[in-house]
Formats: sequence, structure tokens, C-alpha cells
Amino acid sequence: MSPGQGVIASLLTCLVGAGLCGLVAPRRRLAGWVAFAATALSSGLALYAAGKALALGSVEPEMFLKVESMGFALTLHIDGLSAFFILLIASIALPAVFYSIDYMESYPEYGVGRYYPLLLIFIAALYGLVSTTDMMWFFFIFWQMMTVPGFLLIRFERQRAENRRAALKFLVMMEIACAATMAGAELLAGAPVSGAAAGGGAALKYDFATVSSRLPALLEQRSLLTAAAFALFLAGFGIKLGMWPFGRVWLPDAHPAAPSPMSAMLSGVMLKTGVYGVMRYFLWLVPLERRAIYPAWEWGAVMTILGTITLLTGTAQALKQEQTKRLLAFHSIGQLGYILFGVGMAMLLLGMDDPRLEPLAVAAFAGALLHTLHHATFKSLLFLNAGSVLWSTGTQDLNRLGGLARWMPWTAITALIASMSISGVPGLNGFISKWALYVAGVEGWPAASWLPVCAAIAILTSALTLASFVKFFGAGFLGRSSAYVERKARERGRLEVPWRMQVSQWLLAVVCVVAGLLPAVTFGLVQLALKAGHRGLGAVFGTMSPATPAFLAGVRTVGQGVVIAVLVVLGIAAGMALAWLLSCLGGAPRRRVEPWLCGYATHEDSMRVTAHGLYGHLKSGLSARGLARMMWSKAPTREWDKNAGPRHTASGGKESGS
Amino acid sequence: MGGELKAILGTAATCVAQVLWALLLAPLVEGLVRKLTARIQSRQGPPIWQGYFDLLKLLGKEDLEAGEIPWLPRVAAFLSLGTLMFMACVLPLGAAPPLGTETDSILLVHLVTLAGLGALMAGFAAGGTYSLIGSSREVMLMVLLEPLLAVAVIAGAVHRSSLAVAEAVRGGVYAAQGFPWSGLILLVVILLAFPAYVQRVPFDIAEAETEIMEGWLMECSGPTLALFKYSAMLKLVLYSALFVNLFVPWGEAGGGVGAWLFFWIKTGAVIALVAAAAAAHARYRADQAVRWFGMMLAAALFALWLAGLGC
Repeated sequence: MSPGQGVIASLLTCLVGAGLCGLVAPRRRLAGWVAFAATALSSGLALYAAGKALALGSVEPEMFLKVESMGFALTLHIDGLSAFFILLIASIALPAVFYSIDYMESYPEYGVGRYYPLLLIFIAALYGLVSTTDMMWFFFIFWQMMTVPGFLLIRFERQRAENRRAALKFLVMMEIACAATMAGAELLAGAPVSGAAAGGGAALKYDFATVSSRLPALLEQRSLLTAAAFALFLAGFGIKLGMWPFGRVWLPDAHPAAPSPMSAMLSGVMLKTGVYGVMRYFLWLVPLERRAIYPAWEWGAVMTILGTITLLTGTAQALKQEQTKRLLAFHSIGQLGYILFGVGMAMLLLGMDDPRLEPLAVAAFAGALLHTLHHATFKSLLFLNAGSVLWSTGTQDLNRLGGLARWMPWTAITALIASMSISGVPGLNGFISKWALYVAGVEGWPAASWLPVCAAIAILTSALTLASFVKFFGAGFLGRSSAYVERKARERGRLEVPWRMQVSQWLLAVVCVVAGLLPAVTFGLVQLALKAGHRGLGAVFGTMSPATPAFLAGVRTVGQGVVIAVLVVLGIAAGMALAWLLSCLGGAPRRRVEPWLCGYATHEDSMRVTAHGLYGHLKSGLSARGLARMMWSKAPTREWDKNAGPRHTASGGKESGS
Repeated sequence: MGGELKAILGTAATCVAQVLWALLLAPLVEGLVRKLTARIQSRQGPPIWQGYFDLLKLLGKEDLEAGEIPWLPRVAAFLSLGTLMFMACVLPLGAAPPLGTETDSILLVHLVTLAGLGALMAGFAAGGTYSLIGSSREVMLMVLLEPLLAVAVIAGAVHRSSLAVAEAVRGGVYAAQGFPWSGLILLVVILLAFPAYVQRVPFDIAEAETEIMEGWLMECSGPTLALFKYSAMLKLVLYSALFVNLFVPWGEAGGGVGAWLFFWIKTGAVIALVAAAAAAHARYRADQAVRWFGMMLAAALFALWLAGLGC
């Protein structure tokens, strides 16, 4: 079985599975297991296809279906980049669907006939989208296969007006994105151009290879039109990946509305098709041998700046959120900003045409690819964690939560791992990809003097991310148990989720830790992917070694950047062991007490510092207006609102028993 | 293979020596600082060995655990002190750092954050009202202080085109092609913010004994408190050494014992400066500090842009 056949088989498995699920939908659990079986089979096939493509090193496009009269053909090209994204889809879809089996029990009022079949079609569309070479018709078909089920899944809880609104916003934005991208393709494929490059035949007018072969002549003769086409691509895929200023229009509403495993798929996988589009169109469309006429520096600069704005604004918005899934959704914008930042830097550095900067370009691109993978693992995990909290407490409101680590310790540990990972704590996978991006940003100063400033803003944003996840984890899982949580615990007996939901969480948490400890393995995977592809400018990444990874020895790159995660973790662990020994020296006894409240008050729910009460001064300076007010007027900002304390306001998503 | 093993053992021995030296020195420095503060304020002050006595006393005291997850503040204390010990192997402390080729400046910046994370986890896990207010403040400061330090380190990495700690951090800020404008701006900026890194007046806002009763530390007692106190002492020594590395790298050309001694004299001077500033100032309000560090950060980013331009 060739890689292309493997992907087709995987896609068909999903579609057949969708049909079967539709048939058995009245029996909820059975439908869940059928969906899982279909996902497992399709993921297996997809992993096989991706693995084979990477092992073969170079795969030609494979044509499966050709309709000459209508001018389209289903051609799949599983090169390294596609294989990488297929691998990502397959490995996130599996835990997400497995998690759904138990999770969907919590919607007795909604049938699963509107869930599993749509989810499987959605997954099939993702596979198609990252492997088709048709920039028009099959792009459109797969895009719609992703958008329409996505729309229906976001409005799954359709009795709530805000979910219907969120889904509609998603639909409209995705259709605009689709139109923009297809208009761009039409501009490139339809514009008349003189020269020998125009070939390929009318039937394959929109094929990637045809457009690619016409591009150099277009760049020479119609530079303005080509620029317009690329701007449309950036806008289209930018809408998808949540780029500033489009991201906040749809993304923070859509993610919390969907059922949690679907939120995990939306953030972990679906946004990545935007990343794939940007990478594919901007780096693989222009032929390698004609790279000199492609304005890579200019487009790279635009993307780097947009990425920096996206990561900063997305994360700054996230810091103000008090609903778990909404907070995570804003962080998706922020983290996707990092990826765009990396892709932009890679292009900017390539555009300098300086052999000394090319290893940095590879580091930037490897960082972007790795962050795509890492974000998929930790963000899916976080959405599953938020789902577990919602499942057992019935709320997304951090203000009403507290002390959950006591009630659901296993979920808490995985949430801690994911929170530290997204915040870039050394030893976990988020640090590795961010590290590669920082190295490229700092050492890439000869390409643009402002690049280190962007890197510093990315580091600032990483600190903001940490603050936000200290809030997420601290207000949700630590602190005193809120009266609400204690009541829920009494009602339900236990709050911890069943083992089947935990398995998915643990699987993703283990990936976060292992990928964080052994960056050499993930960097090796990226290098393999970059080597397995020989068309387009992006292939230049395959010819160079950005880093010299050695198993366990970590990763080294230019500019003496080095990360040996095992050493760091062992070193800190040794220090911790010494600290532990020290703490045992005195043989001090331990006793449980109540928190001290000046000796005359006992703890009450109204005394809890909730998520709303955190970071007052910082939050008031995070908007442009707030910052201006803070700087001009000397009046003190408030540490917290007058009506801080548990706010019992409406929260997005499922709410029960309140 | 034998040579390699020997090299690894040699590195490990240097690491242990450097960590033990920092651990032994830190309480003495604390004692000296308290003595100096007392003298500035016309008091007698405790004996200079008081830092050791305090730690020994606390290690034997009862550990009162207020949180619902009692093991977490304890582990957080281990994390805080453990990270600082590891930092002692990464920083040049009067000699080349033992792990200089295995770590880089980006990791160093993240270690500073990780050392602070322990405090946050302890504060949040304890769950008391005061400890949460303190933790919230700690986060607000950390968010601005970490990038500030990162900018200073990055500026050095830009000038030297290297991320190695011994290159970027050792006076790299001044290594501009022309007049080191960026280095001087950063010197002023970090100097004005420095007390916050070591949790001293006027920026000890997260602890603020007289206002929120030690903030995040409030619910810690016994050995846990001892470890956090020890972390604070170690922070003062290590971050002052980091400051010397970043901004006062001169006079160690020869290497050897003389250079080592001169390095620690410079570090002592920085610590004395911090103590004197603390003794003579009142604490800032949290909102004033946030505004202040925000302005510092803007100046630092401007300096970094200058560094990218080569000056």
C-alpha cells in the first residue's frame, strides 16, 4: 500500500465509520465504541501512510480520480510536510474520540447521532485537506467537509442561543476564508502569462505542480497580482489559524461552545490546517531553483510582525478570562501566533540568501513545526482537562471552582503537566519548541534589527502565559474548595472522572513529558519530514542540519544554543533531593490546620480569592486604553474589583444543577 | 571512554563544589545584610551568624499545613531551592560555569522563572486569603521582571552572536560595535529594578510583612518555611552574581584566585547596595511597581532594538 492509498483508506474508513455510527446512534455507548474503532483503524492507516512516506524519503503525487471534462482530479501528495500533519491528526483524534465515549454520557438530552458521524467526517476532511494537491475543487470539497460538520458540532448544544451564535460566526468566517483562498488560487492559475512555464494541460489547471511551474513567470511579469494572491492566502489561512485581527472574531466563541473533545480537536488539530496552508503555499509553491525572484523576506517580515501581534494580543486577552474553555481558546490564538512567528522568521531568514543565516531559518521552521505538534498535545490535553472539570462539576466558571486537586487528583496532575508545558517550563515539550523560536529570533538579528525585540515580546508573552495558567490551575485546582465544589462532591460521591477519560489525558500528558525530555527524537522527526520532500523552496530545509541532535544528548544549534533537557531535569531533581534531605534533618512533626485569618475569623466561601480577584493591576494595563490611562493618570489602579469574590454569572457551555 | 568518564566526574565535582559554596555563603550574607541594615537605621542588629541560626531553628519547628493538598507546598519549596542550586552550576561564579557548554542563556532566563514558580504553587496551594493576594502580586511582578532580565541577556547574545552563558551574560551587553548605548540603558534599567528580583524593599510587594503579613509565605512554617527562606538567601547571592556578570565584568582578566576573589568583592558590593537601598526606602504600592516595571520594560525593548542595530 502506497502512502496515498493509505490516506485514502484512512479517509474512507472514517466515512464508513460515520455511516455505521449513524445507524447505531440510538445506542449511545455502542455508537461511541464504533466511532472509536473506526478512528483507531483510520489512525492506524494514517500513521502507516505517514510513516511510510517518511521512510521512503520522497514520494511522487498519486492520482486517484480524474474527471477530464470538469477539470479536476483527486491527487494526493504525501511528502514530509503532509506526513507530519497526518501524524498529528491521527495521534490527537484517537485520544479525543476515546474520551468522547464517556464524556458524551453527560448530554442525555442530546442524541449522539449528531456527534460521532459528524466528528468522523470532520477527521476525514482534515486528512484530505493536508494531502490534496488540488488548490480549487478538492480543496473546496475537503474544506466544506470540515466546515459544515464543524459548524454542526459547535452548535451541538443547540438549545443555548450563544452556541448557535458561535457556530454561525464560525461558519461565516470559514466560508470567507475558503473564498479568499480559492480567489487567490484562481488569480494564480487563471492569469495569462507568457513563457514556457505554462504547461500541465487544462485539466490540471489548479494542481499544485501546475501553479508552481507558472509562478516564476507570474512573479516576473505580474508581481502585483501575485502579491494580491499571496495576501489572499495569508488572509484565508490566517482566519483559520486565528491570526490577528481575525482570530478573536470567531475562535474564542467557537471553542467553548463545542463539546470538550471537539474543542480539543478544534484547537489541537483544525487550527493547524491553517498553519499547514501557510507553510505549503508560502514555502512550497515557489520552485527552489527560482527562489531569488520570490520576495521571501518581505512576506516573512509581514508574517513575523503579524505573528508577534497575534501572540501578544491573544495571550493578553486570555489573561482576563475566567471561563476555563474560553481562557484556553484565547491561548490557542496566542500559541498559534508563536507558530506564525516561526514560519515568518524562517522565510525572513531565507530571504536574506545568506548561507550563515540558513541554519537559523531551519531552526525557526523546525520550531514552528514542533510547536504545531506540541501545541496539539498540550492544548488538547488542557481542553480534555477542562472537559473533565465540566463533566464532574457542571461549570466552566473558574470563580466557582477551587481545590479540585483534592477531589480529582489524577486530572489535576495531568492539568499541571499541560499548564507547565504551555508556559514553557524546562523539561516539558512547550519549552523545546519555544526555545528553537527564541534562538532564531535572537540570533537572526542580521536579517532584521527588530527581530530580537519580537523574540523578547515572545518571551514576555510566555511569562503572561505562565501567569494565565497559574490562574487556571491555581484557581481551579488549588486553593480552598469552594462551597459549590463541596456541594457537587457531596451530590456525586466522587468527582474524579472514570478511567476511560483518564487514559486519554494520561496518554497526552506522557507525550508532553517524553517530547520535553527527549527533544532529539522530535527534532529528528522534523528533520526526517523536511528531508522527505523535494519540491519548492521549503525543500531547502531538508538539505541543511539546523541542530545536531543525539539521542539523550539533547539538541545543539548555531550560536551555541543548546538544550539538554535530561540534564536540566536531573540537575533540578538532584537539587530537590538535597532540599528534601535538608527538610528532614530536624525531624519536624506535621499538623493539619486551618488557614490563619488573624485569629478571630474562620474560613468562609466569601473569603476565597477567586480567579476574578487575581492580577488586578496587570489586567487594567493590558488593553491599549487601559495602558494609556495607567501611564498618564497617577490614580492607583485597583488590585481587584469592588465586587470581587465568587461571581455567580452565566457561563458558556453546559451548566447543570446550579 | 575513561577520559570521558573522568571529564563527567570532574564536571560533577565542580558543580557540587559551586553549589555547596553558594549554600554555605548565603546565610552569612543574610546575616551581614541584616547587620548593615541595622547600622543604617541606628540599631545594634543580630549577630552575623543569625541566618544559620534561623534556618536551624525553623528546620526543627512543627510544620503546620493549611492547604487541602499538603504535599504541594512542600514540593514547591524543594523546587524553588533545587532550581536555584542548579542555577549555581549554570552561572559563572568567579570562574567558568561547570555546565557552560551544556546550557544556554535562554535556559538561564527560564530557570529564574522556575525558581519563582515554586513560590506561586505554595501560595496557591495553601489557599489562605493573604497567601493568594501575595501570590497574585508575585505573578504581576514576575510577568514584567522575567522579560526585563531576558532583554538584558538577549542584548548580550545579539552583540556577541552567541547564546552561551559565558559569552552573552559575561558583559555581553557592552560588546556593541559602536558606543554601547543599549548596554548603558539596560544597566540603568536593571539597576532600578534589581531589588525586585531578590524580593527586597522597595519592591518586596508580594511579601509585604506590614501589609499582607508575608503574603504567599504566610501559611508556610517549619522546614517548608526554612527552605523558602533559604531560597531567598540564595537568590540574593546568585542574582547579585548574575548582575555582576551582566554589567560589571571588569577586572577578572587574569583568572585564578585573584579574579575569583575580585568577583565576590564586586558581588558583595552589589549586595551592600541592595541592603542600603532597602534600609533607606519605603515600599512601593503594587500598582506603582507594576507601572514602574512597565516603563522599564518599554525602555529595555528600545535598548534591544538599538542592540539589533549594532549600538
